[in-house]
Amino acid sequence: MRLNPDHFWTYSEWLFEKNALRDGAILSVTLALLGFIIGYIVSVFKYGPSEGFLRVSQIIGQLFTVDLPKLSFRRIYAMAKLAVKESIRKKILVLIGIFIVAMMFAGWYLDPDADSPARLYLVFVLTATNYLVILLGLFISCFSIPADIKSRTIYTITTKPVRPLELFLGRVLGFTAIGTLVLATMGLLSYVFVVRGLDHNHELVSMDPTEKSGESSYNNRHRHTFTLNSEGRGTTNEVKGHRHIVTKVGDKVVIGSPIDDLTARIPIYAKSLEFTGRDGEKNEGYNVGYMSEYQKYIEGDSLSRAVWRFEGVQPTLFRDVILYDLTISAFRTYKGDIVTPVGGLIHFRSTDGKVKSEDEPFKVKEFQVDRRSVRTKLKGFKQDATGKDIATDLDFFQDIAPNGSFEVVVRCQDRGQYLGMAAADIYLRPADLQFWWNFVKGYISIWLQMFIVICFGVMFSTFLSGPVAIIATVAALVLGFFGFFVDNLVTTTSKGGGPIESLIRLPTQMGSQIEMELGNETLQNAIASADRGILLAVSQLKNAVPNFSQLDTSNFVAYGYNLFGGLLARHLTIAFGYFVLTALVSYFFLKTREMAA
Amino acid sequence: MATSLDQENRPLAHDSDPTQTIVETRNLGKVYRDFWGRKKVQALKSLDLEVRRGEIFGLLGPNGSGKSTTIKLMLGLLFPTQGRVFVFGKEATDVSKNERIGYLPEESYLYKFLNAEETLDFYGRLFDIPADVRRQRIESLIKMVKLEHARRRQLKEYSKGMTRRIGLAQALINEPEFLVLDEPTTGLDPLGTRDMKDLILRLRDEGKTILMCSHQLADVQDVCDRVAILHQGELKELGRVDSLLKIQDLTEIHASGLTDEAKNQIREIIEKSGGKLDRMDNPTTTMEDLFLEIVKESEQRPGRRGGRGGN
Ligand SMILES: Nc1ncnc2c1ncn2[C@@H]1O[C@H](COP(=O)(O)OP(=O)(O)OP(=O)(O)O)[C@@H](O)[C@H]1O
Ligand SMILES: [Mg+2]
Repeated sequence: MRLNPDHFWTYSEWLFEKNALRDGAILSVTLALLGFIIGYIVSVFKYGPSEGFLRVSQIIGQLFTVDLPKLSFRRIYAMAKLAVKESIRKKILVLIGIFIVAMMFAGWYLDPDADSPARLYLVFVLTATNYLVILLGLFISCFSIPADIKSRTIYTITTKPVRPLELFLGRVLGFTAIGTLVLATMGLLSYVFVVRGLDHNHELVSMDPTEKSGESSYNNRHRHTFTLNSEGRGTTNEVKGHRHIVTKVGDKVVIGSPIDDLTARIPIYAKSLEFTGRDGEKNEGYNVGYMSEYQKYIEGDSLSRAVWRFEGVQPTLFRDVILYDLTISAFRTYKGDIVTPVGGLIHFRSTDGKVKSEDEPFKVKEFQVDRRSVRTKLKGFKQDATGKDIATDLDFFQDIAPNGSFEVVVRCQDRGQYLGMAAADIYLRPADLQFWWNFVKGYISIWLQMFIVICFGVMFSTFLSGPVAIIATVAALVLGFFGFFVDNLVTTTSKGGGPIESLIRLPTQMGSQIEMELGNETLQNAIASADRGILLAVSQLKNAVPNFSQLDTSNFVAYGYNLFGGLLARHLTIAFGYFVLTALVSYFFLKTREMAA
Repeated sequence: MATSLDQENRPLAHDSDPTQTIVETRNLGKVYRDFWGRKKVQALKSLDLEVRRGEIFGLLGPNGSGKSTTIKLMLGLLFPTQGRVFVFGKEATDVSKNERIGYLPEESYLYKFLNAEETLDFYGRLFDIPADVRRQRIESLIKMVKLEHARRRQLKEYSKGMTRRIGLAQALINEPEFLVLDEPTTGLDPLGTRDMKDLILRLRDEGKTILMCSHQLADVQDVCDRVAILHQGELKELGRVDSLLKIQDLTEIHASGLTDEAKNQIREIIEKSGGKLDRMDNPTTTMEDLFLEIVKESEQRPGRRGGRGGN
């Protein structure tokens, strides 16, 4: 898993600086206009131009004058309760139970030799849960209103003072309650499943004569080695993504339960990454043409460097050591000794470059996180007045990062080889957060997806039959998944201008190669900005359907990264947006639909 | 066309007091169309009628004559394709009118997985009735429709008559001023029918207005104050039940306490007005006869019959 810069945006950054609010507003206005136009066209066919306009305005007006103010929670609650009762009495939940048991059996067949069992287990339970509740949401939401219409129970509902929006809200609330129940159960089961599945113990097998290091027994298809410090404490090496704490109590050496496999790291990332070329000049990093969209490369045994700049790091987050994770890949221009990994050097320096730590060598661990640390009391160099480096003892937060800002410098040692890195490939690791809370957040994420599916399902079922509503909902999700295509379509500027300009060019037979010349500057500008507006509106339309690949956060949990609150808040906002959108569309259809036709 | 539009848009015409008209239809028509907007059936043609406060109004007509369509138009379940309907002076599509209406559909379209109490509680909540009032009404309604023994059983286990009765209870949960009953006695045994009729009359006496449609002509004759007879979507007859059933040019005499001799001289006695007349009246036809006659006549001569009953 790779974290992208956009994952780190704070909520307000996303909302204001990254234009989420603006785009949302554009989308709302576009949809409102579109809805009005379509509604008007339809009612013109039915009632004629003036009567049609009256009807459409009436429906919009009544939303604010009566239908919203007269919402009653008692009615919404009654219908939600009915939906829950229906699913219980019709034994839908039993079906789910069977499914859960079946899944747990499938879990037995997870590869026991996997490099990272924790990740495997987590990806498995999260993905399975995600699909299951989305399917559940899809089916219960799409069939309910059509079933009521078919059995005509809807007659007894709509002849009561039930408002169209209440019909929508009641269903959504009820189905969400069912989904939440199922999801909570599955979450709890999954948690137990993962924790128990990963838990294991090792015995001590051998201890070397100095009594400082030893080896554990072979359990769960792996063994550990460990070294103890002078106080008789230590940890094992990391195998399959976990370690054990080892303590010596009297004569006995005790190896504890696994740690580090279920974590929620809160990575602190660098604000920027800059490169220098082989002669020390600034550049963008080398491009090796291979997977290099994401990473850029530095050249070995030259002046080429990668420099990350950290800002505002709080000293209080760290005690004696600063833990950091490094994920660097190598690109070999010649094969060399394939067993020996490509090596590099890393050091920390102050932002003015006058204080720096000693270089520390590292070997590239391809596709693995290199867990490293630097002590806050460390050896390094300080420039004196003449610019000469004087070796000295340093304190990290006093000398290198007095105001929390510092730089990390990496270079490659091996001539002719390259090291690749991206801004997110190094991060500091303050104390981890509780795993279970991260797990819960992962499930909240799934919950949001389920909620959106339910909203769309209920919306489509207000004017389509059950099976068609399912197809429509799935189509919306698939469309959302491929939404970025629309984006590309719109952002690439095409010859011949936007829609309005094209409309003018067509009848006047003006080729797309020549500049449009209307002899009126203001008119031309007006057309250009209108075109820009239309394109902007169209580009936002893709957001009318949700993109679940963006809402999926299971990798945060599986890879042990803290799921940022800001990200979750964003998704919450997006879900709320879809809720409002689907509510309005449903209102319109329920209001205009003849229930007995 | 202009006249009919004027007709539709004139202010609500109430003979005396506006609060006295519960339903008013003006030039009301309904065409069912298919998905592509093509005309399928003309279910109702320019219907004009009024239901007045405190009466029991009957809608009669053979199968497919548009009775249920009329009721659904009044309830806003369908939208008219021509003309307008007003209920309590509001458009039929206005949701707030529903607070004062109770509706018993043709068949009881209720949730089969609920039991009687839950059903009433659910519909009670839809009327936004507070919990204590709701509990009280559920109690008395279950008692009224005699379902005490089955109150905790799911409706899917109910017999036809039981379903009908819980349907009626459901329609009364909000203590409606106006009750719409689509074939209230179908599926009920003679005793149940009797109960239902008594109930309808009692509700009328409590001041409620009732609109019902039925095939049980005897029932209509028994309870309705006024009836409208529909055939193929057209109004054929509208009037008071007693005057509709009167045959004007005949006289019927019931006499008693006559000796055989007197019987022999009966014509003479009557001519001299010497006998003791128990009753002297126009004979009444039965609803059934009237109904059959109208349908037969209408099939021969489409269009509104020359009215015989006063309003
Ligand atoms: N949803 C519908 N779509 C198309 N046609 C319909 C629909 N509902 C009713 N009709 C037609 O409208 C006409 C009137 O039907 P309606 O149900 O109003 O009759 P009714 O008087 O209630 O009959 P019954 O006594 O059998 O209940 C019939 O010809 C019927 O076929
Ligand atoms: Mg009917």
